[in-house]
Amino acid sequence: MQNNIITKTHFTFFTVIYLFFLSGCQSTPANKNAILLAQQGEFESAKQTIRADYSANGKSKLLHYLELGMLNHLQGNYQLSNQQLTQAQQIIEEQYTISISESALALLSGPSFTTYAGKVYHRPLINFYKALNYNALANQTNADRQSFLDSALVEMRQLDTYLSGLKDATGGYDEEKPSGLDLLTEQIDNLTRPLFAPNDLLKDIEYKDDAFAHYVSGILFERNQELDSARIQYQRAIQAFENGFAQQYDINPIVITQIKKDLIRVMAMAGGYSNEVAKLKSELKITTSKTSQPVLNILQDVGIGPQRKQFNLLLNVDEEAKALVMTPILWGTQREQQAQMRWFQMLYADTSIFDLIQNYATGDVSDIVMGGLTKRIPLGPIWDDAVDIGLISALQYGSRISVTYLEPLKQQIDRSEIWVNNQKVANLEKIYSVSLLTLQDALNNANSEIQIALAREIVKSLTAQKAISATGLDASFSGFAKLATSVVNAVTASADVRQWHSLPSQINYIQLPVSKGEHTITLKTYLTSGIVLEQSETIQIVDDVTLWHTRTFLQKTRIETPDSTFL
Amino acid sequence: MKCNKTLLKLTPLFVACTLAVSGCSSTKVQRVDANQEVALSDKWNAKDSQLVAEAMINDMLSFPWVNDHLQKEGSKPAIIIQSVRNKSHQHIAVDTFLNDLKRSILRSGQADFVANKDVRKEIRDERKDQELNSSLESQNEMGQEYGADYALSGTINSFVDEQGGDRVTFYQVDLRLIDMTTNREVWNGQKKIQKLQERSRFGF
Repeated sequence: MQNNIITKTHFTFFTVIYLFFLSGCQSTPANKNAILLAQQGEFESAKQTIRADYSANGKSKLLHYLELGMLNHLQGNYQLSNQQLTQAQQIIEEQYTISISESALALLSGPSFTTYAGKVYHRPLINFYKALNYNALANQTNADRQSFLDSALVEMRQLDTYLSGLKDATGGYDEEKPSGLDLLTEQIDNLTRPLFAPNDLLKDIEYKDDAFAHYVSGILFERNQELDSARIQYQRAIQAFENGFAQQYDINPIVITQIKKDLIRVMAMAGGYSNEVAKLKSELKITTSKTSQPVLNILQDVGIGPQRKQFNLLLNVDEEAKALVMTPILWGTQREQQAQMRWFQMLYADTSIFDLIQNYATGDVSDIVMGGLTKRIPLGPIWDDAVDIGLISALQYGSRISVTYLEPLKQQIDRSEIWVNNQKVANLEKIYSVSLLTLQDALNNANSEIQIALAREIVKSLTAQKAISATGLDASFSGFAKLATSVVNAVTASADVRQWHSLPSQINYIQLPVSKGEHTITLKTYLTSGIVLEQSETIQIVDDVTLWHTRTFLQKTRIETPDSTFL
Repeated sequence: MKCNKTLLKLTPLFVACTLAVSGCSSTKVQRVDANQEVALSDKWNAKDSQLVAEAMINDMLSFPWVNDHLQKEGSKPAIIIQSVRNKSHQHIAVDTFLNDLKRSILRSGQADFVANKDVRKEIRDERKDQELNSSLESQNEMGQEYGADYALSGTINSFVDEQGGDRVTFYQVDLRLIDMTTNREVWNGQKKIQKLQERSRFGF
């Protein structure tokens, strides 16, 4: 009798826990908190948060170095920032070799138990911030100035090597990469692919090359009078922007016009390109041949990138329709729940003609009606096999599948203006969007992520089922053991939402012709909320090419920390 | 009793899981000869710096300018290092390479070195201080510096070719020696190093 009571109590307890873990729990990651602290100028607390939550040797060691590298960059500790970003580069490089033991462990636990390897677009950004650091260091000293300037260019050469490899792998923006499939196989592949997201949605969202990185390289090479390298980088930037980068990341074509003017300038300085210069001038309708004037390039890092979040699906079995069914478990604020549902419907729900026919063939009419709220995977002829191996029994209490999603991007900036010596000169244009990169990366991986998550949860359920049978617990405790293992599986089934949080949401840019001497620059950022943020700095224009880089956080009325890098 | 048996059956699984989660890492440090090459990657390392410096200085001193200078001036030539620019894709400690170059030249005994601009300035400050604070016998006079006869400068370049896990890195060091009186280039040396790094896509 007492045993019975204990069993019932445990059963209820596990059921509550199970439901809790099925829904998953959303909390703000520590590195997001850290950048929010940095936004308020509390850099030491921000760094302490990172050190406390991301060990330098743990699975998220990459985030330890990336976040500290960025925080030190923002604080003006350029040397230290570079040491940490170099460590981050090394960790990413080490991840080329995939650890089989770690992958096996991940299959039985979850992706967050693997060593974080970063995203494909992180490497160029590391080179970019390191180059900015080296340039800032060059500006602080006379003795090692040349050495620091050379080091900045080393970063740009590493960046070029990396992007060459990326272009080889993806085809870049030059041409369509051949699929490697013959026509018939390709047709079959196209027919079966819509199992999850529709094809058109995920078209042209791969990170294939980085026009912005090429352009910054060009600026730095030009600044160091390496005109051939500058010309090549400007040409590569133009090609990538024109062939898809601008469209993919919503960049104003005015940026391309600017780069073409830069290209004309370096070609004219290098000499020997009169035909190319004439052609570009004709294209841009430039008639004057005025001598080159010093230029000031302004780069504004704005805001904080979007947060990758986790949403959960319940995987269970529809025995009548002989199908696996995934149903989203909406959790969090109303805004989060809406975003989760839209993400599910956009990428996974049975809303395509293909899915509707499949549901009609295997289920009843209600399945078609429910199409927008569920994802069904009909097992059809392999149903009996699934019963034999114990899958159907293992999923008796359902299983949790977790995937990442992003809330719809919110436009927070109306415009950014640049004022020189108290006169408005121009508006800055977006040249790079970390927000869209993050979103497109999540969309691009959505298909494989849910497939891997599905496979993982099935393996875990089956393994647990076999362990229960082998130990004889099945006979003694019946459903209780299954529910308990389902709870354990649900606990570990979290999606990998790790990300480099201190990156800006976007980078704005403008180039201005200036005269040599002292100038007061004011950057006014107009937010959609009506708030205007102002940042000012007095700079000395000495060289022909100067770069001023700053970070604008959107939650402050005034920036007080040493947040700009005058190069 | 039955419970004990079940626990016994599960123990190896628990042990295996614990080992897998905790990992079996340890740190080991040992002393190795500074001349022994320890190549952990294809990056420029101390051995590259030493080998390139020795090879280039041997080549430099085998050119006729040394004997020409001795015959003409009757003294060993004095060299100053202007700059060696790192134009490669790797961060290279250029100062270390310059020190290797200096050591190789001094070891040969065929040429002298003149301190560079920054060091000269420090020494001049020290001499000024001596004028005020040192005894007359121990003071060093101003205006007795040894002027350089030749200026050494150069670049370190590199190319990288990468395919999958394989990477070929090619370093090229170019140095030149200029006669400071006539601006004649009396020596131009080149040393190349090629490294192949192979990485496996999968490992344990």
